[in-house]
Parts: sequence; structure tokens; C-alpha cells
Amino acid sequence: MSDPPVSSLLDVRPLLARGIDPYETVMAAAAAVPSGGVLRLDVPFNPVPLRRALAREGFSSHAQRQAVDFWQVTFLRDGAEGWEQRTEAEILPEGAMQWQEEDGFHLDVRRLPPPEPLRVILRLVEALNGVGRVVVHHDRDPVFLAPELAERGWAIVRVDQAMAEIRLCLEPERR
Amino acid sequence: MLPGLPASAADRLLPPHLPGRFFAAAVLFHLAAWLLLLGAGPDALLGFTGGPGPVAAALHLLTLGTLGMSALGAALQMLPVVTNRALAHPTAARWLFVLYAPGVALLGLGLTRPLPGVRMMGGAMTGLGLALFAAMVIHHLLQVSGMQALRRHLALALAALVGLVLLGLGLLADFSAGWFDNHRAVAAAHAVLAGYGFMGMLAFGFSTVLIPMFVLGPAIPETAARRSVWLAAPALGCGVIGLLGGSGALTAIGALFGLAAVVVHLLALAGSVRRRMRRRLEPFFRLVWLSWAMLLLSLVLGLALALGAPADPWAVLWGLALVPGWLLSFVLAILQRILPFLAAMHSATDGRPPVLPSRLETPWATTLHSIAHASALALITAGLLAGLVWPLWLGLAAGAIGAVAFTLYAAGVPWRLSRFRAALAASAQG
Repeated sequence: MSDPPVSSLLDVRPLLARGIDPYETVMAAAAAVPSGGVLRLDVPFNPVPLRRALAREGFSSHAQRQAVDFWQVTFLRDGAEGWEQRTEAEILPEGAMQWQEEDGFHLDVRRLPPPEPLRVILRLVEALNGVGRVVVHHDRDPVFLAPELAERGWAIVRVDQAMAEIRLCLEPERR
Repeated sequence: MLPGLPASAADRLLPPHLPGRFFAAAVLFHLAAWLLLLGAGPDALLGFTGGPGPVAAALHLLTLGTLGMSALGAALQMLPVVTNRALAHPTAARWLFVLYAPGVALLGLGLTRPLPGVRMMGGAMTGLGLALFAAMVIHHLLQVSGMQALRRHLALALAALVGLVLLGLGLLADFSAGWFDNHRAVAAAHAVLAGYGFMGMLAFGFSTVLIPMFVLGPAIPETAARRSVWLAAPALGCGVIGLLGGSGALTAIGALFGLAAVVVHLLALAGSVRRRMRRRLEPFFRLVWLSWAMLLLSLVLGLALALGAPADPWAVLWGLALVPGWLLSFVLAILQRILPFLAAMHSATDGRPPVLPSRLETPWATTLHSIAHASALALITAGLLAGLVWPLWLGLAAGAIGAVAFTLYAAGVPWRLSRFRAALAASAQG
């Protein structure tokens, strides 16, 4: 069976390099894709939250790593039935996304109103019971998080300003 | 920083000494107000009908001093955090303190002693400080988007600020010039704009952010926050116009709108508290419960006054429920929670984790303060209702003891932090 034709190609790496969130651009491009059509996206990372968002618009997706900082994601507008079961991300009640990668649990709390990011992060930290690592994808450097983590024996061990997000690595404190 | 990214935490947090000096001044004005009242004794309270003197001075040390200083310090610290953008001109915060803090002190002195020049100088400096604050907030809000609920509350607070400063300066001049036919009605309108308008809307706005954050509850729904503002605006309008125009019916309508706004606001906050993640409410929440009860009580008393209840003793009881009851209880609760938290936030240096906020607290001091503060309210209310001197003495003494305990608590935070840093330095050398 031949692959469906690619309706749209989008490389969002230049936008991200300029610090621009490409979310709206991708959603606009996706809206123009007809039923059965394909949108292919070039990105520097696996965009799990975006894949989840487009699944709600009826897109199944498949991501393939081409290089260290280059992923190609193919979105197929097929109704995305059963996509929830196949995907690696879980949507939490507050709207945050949680998934697991080799380096630990990942939480995407971007676009959540305060104090929802704080609640989601602390709930996962408490559930981990002092073991593991959490990588938080945030749209801000959360000012109030560090003291709350300290009260739970955790610390922010690294803050990376990634493209269009701030990424925090949380680990139990080594006392 | 990459372009397009939000300001980092370091950009958004002011240097700790900037909000710290506002909070320190707030705590000292609180202590000064209670000591002044205790020094004046029960007779000053029983015979108070307005006008300059130790009661008016203590009232302004509490409102402009404790409440205002706390609101300014908290707003300067919290606005950049919640709007995710650094203050454009942090040096303006220094000028704000230089104008405002001595202004409040001079106004307090000028109201205690018959010093009209000092009083006007203090009032003018305070007014200029508040104008600078308003300019800073407006400039900041014009640069950001989102946080609509907070922006609406702040906009209404600033609108009330304009009215209260104008009426306040008019009242100060009226002590000498005798401009107003009904000085007490103008003073009541000034109090409504200050207590429910400026301070009240700041408290409402920051509550929608702070209370869910402190209890780890869900965010307040935007619709509830919007409704409370839409109800509060006509409440303030009707209340102030009714008082200035001598219309009890219009003032009563304002009180009813106010009650509706408060019910909407408190139901939204209570919903967040009910669904909180933090199982045990921290001690500061005792004062929050008290403040919410006093807010409702103050509006019921205001309604009764508007409908013709005698000013003696209900007007003083209304003031008691509004200022030390609602606003002071709420502000001291927030200060109690936020002082160790802010100090802990600033203690994280060189990649080290911050000191635990709980290690910076002095629990006995907060317990003593809460008990003394609630006792002061109850005893002074009983004394005013019964016209008895001894409950007033006990109430004033309890208030002063509470203020001393709170001062010790606040002073304990930097002291404990310095001990933590010294221990850290010693362990690094060892």
C-alpha cells in the first residue's frame, strides 16, 4: 500500500531558533490538511505535547529521530482513533502532559494558569517518594517551586533555557 | 536569554532588601499603632468621633503604614512574578519607599500632635508615593497580557486610590479650613474607598493567586473573579456616592452589591481550599478565616449603618471590623506565610538548595500573635458595646502583645537566615 501524499511540509526549527513558539503556525498548517492528508514537521525534539494536541484534531502521528537535534514527525489526518492508547503521553486533569523517557518522567506544564504547574509538579514529586528524576517543560522559571521542593527533599539541579521553553531538571536532594 | 523567552526568576525577583524594607516598615508601623492606642487608653476609643488625635493616627499607621506598606511591597514583588515580566524601573521602588515611608510617619505624628503643617506634609508625601505606585503598576500592566482577573482587580483598586487620595487630602485640609459640611460622611466615603476599594481590591486580586498557591488548590475560575469585580465596582460607586450625597438607600444598595461580590469571591476561594493538595492548613490560615468572617461582618454593619443604625457605637464597630478585623488579619496572615517563603527563595545561591521556609519560622510567636490579635478584636468589641473600660484596656494590651509577638516573628526570619548562612559557610570551610 502506498503512503498517503504529503499535503504540507513545515520546518519549525528557524522559528524556534529565534525564540518564537511555533504552536500557532503548526495548528494553522494542520487546519489546512484535508482528511487523509499528511503534515510533515521538522523539529529539533520529539514534540509530544503537540502530538497530543493534534490528536485531538484527528491526527495520528509518528516521530522519527534523524539526528541528535533533528526529528521528523509525520501527522496523518485519519481521525486518530485509538491514538490515546498508542501514545506515550498522559493528559493529567489540570491539562498537563506526563510521559516517560530515558532520563526520567517528563511533565509539560506550559500554558497552565498558576498555581496549576506547581500542583502538578509537586504531586508527581510526592508520588515518586524520593526516587527518580523529573524533567519539567515550563514557560517560565517558577519562582515559588524551589522552597516547596526543598520542603519535600527535592531540588532543581539544572535549568536549561531550551527553545521556546524553560526546562527544569528535578532530583531528590543528596544530603 | 533567548529572544522571545520570558524573564527568568532572577530577573523577576527584586533584590530581597527592596520588598524587605517595605515589609519591615509595615511590621514597625503595626507595632507603633498598637502602642499608640495603648498609650492613649480606652477613653480615646470610647470618645472617638473622628478628627485628629491618637486614634486617627493609629488608624492611619495601620492602614497606610501596615496595610499600605505590605500591599506596596507585595505588589512590587508579586506583579513581576505572576505576570512573568520584570519591573521596568526597579529604582522607582526605592523612590517609592523614600517618599511613602517617611510620609506615613509624618502623617502619624501630625495626627497625634496638633501639627497641621507636618500633617499636610505627611499627607502630600504619602499621596505622591501612592501616585508613583499607581504609575508603576499601570506601566507594568500595559506591558503584559493575560492574568485578566488580576488586572481587573488592580484597575479597580487604582481607580479607588485616586478617589481616596483626593478625599484624604481634602479631609486633612478640612481639619483647618472647614470645607466640608459633613466631615464624617466624607471620612466614611474615604474609608470605603480605602478599605474596600484600594486595599480590598488588591487583597481580592492577590488572593486569587496567593490563596490557591499557599494551599496548593486549583486556580480560581476566571468567571468567578470577573463576577466579583463587576459586583464590586457598583458596590463602591453606590457606597461612595450614597455617603457623599447623604442617601442611605443608595449606600445600602452599595453594601448589598458589596456583600454579593464578597460571597462570589469567598465561594471561589473556598472551592479552591476545599480541593487543595496540602492536607493540613498551615497556622497562618487561622487569620485568613478570621479576616473573611470580619469582611462579611463589616459589610453587614455597614448595611445597618446605611439603614439608620446609630453611629454610636456601630460606626466604630464597623471601622473595627473593616480595618483590624478584615484587612489587618488578612495582611498579617499573608505576611506570616510569605516572609519565610521569600527569604527561603532568596537563600538559594551557588546552586545550593534553599533553606527550608519552615526553618525560618518562629511558631510560638505566630500562635501568640493570632491569639492576641483575635482576643484584642473580641475584647475591644465587647468594651465598645458595653461601654466598659476594663475590656478595652485588656483588648488594647492584647493588641500590643500581638504586635510585639509579630515583630519578633518577622525579625526572626532574617536572624534565622543569617544563622543558616553562617552554618553553611562554616561547613564549606570545614
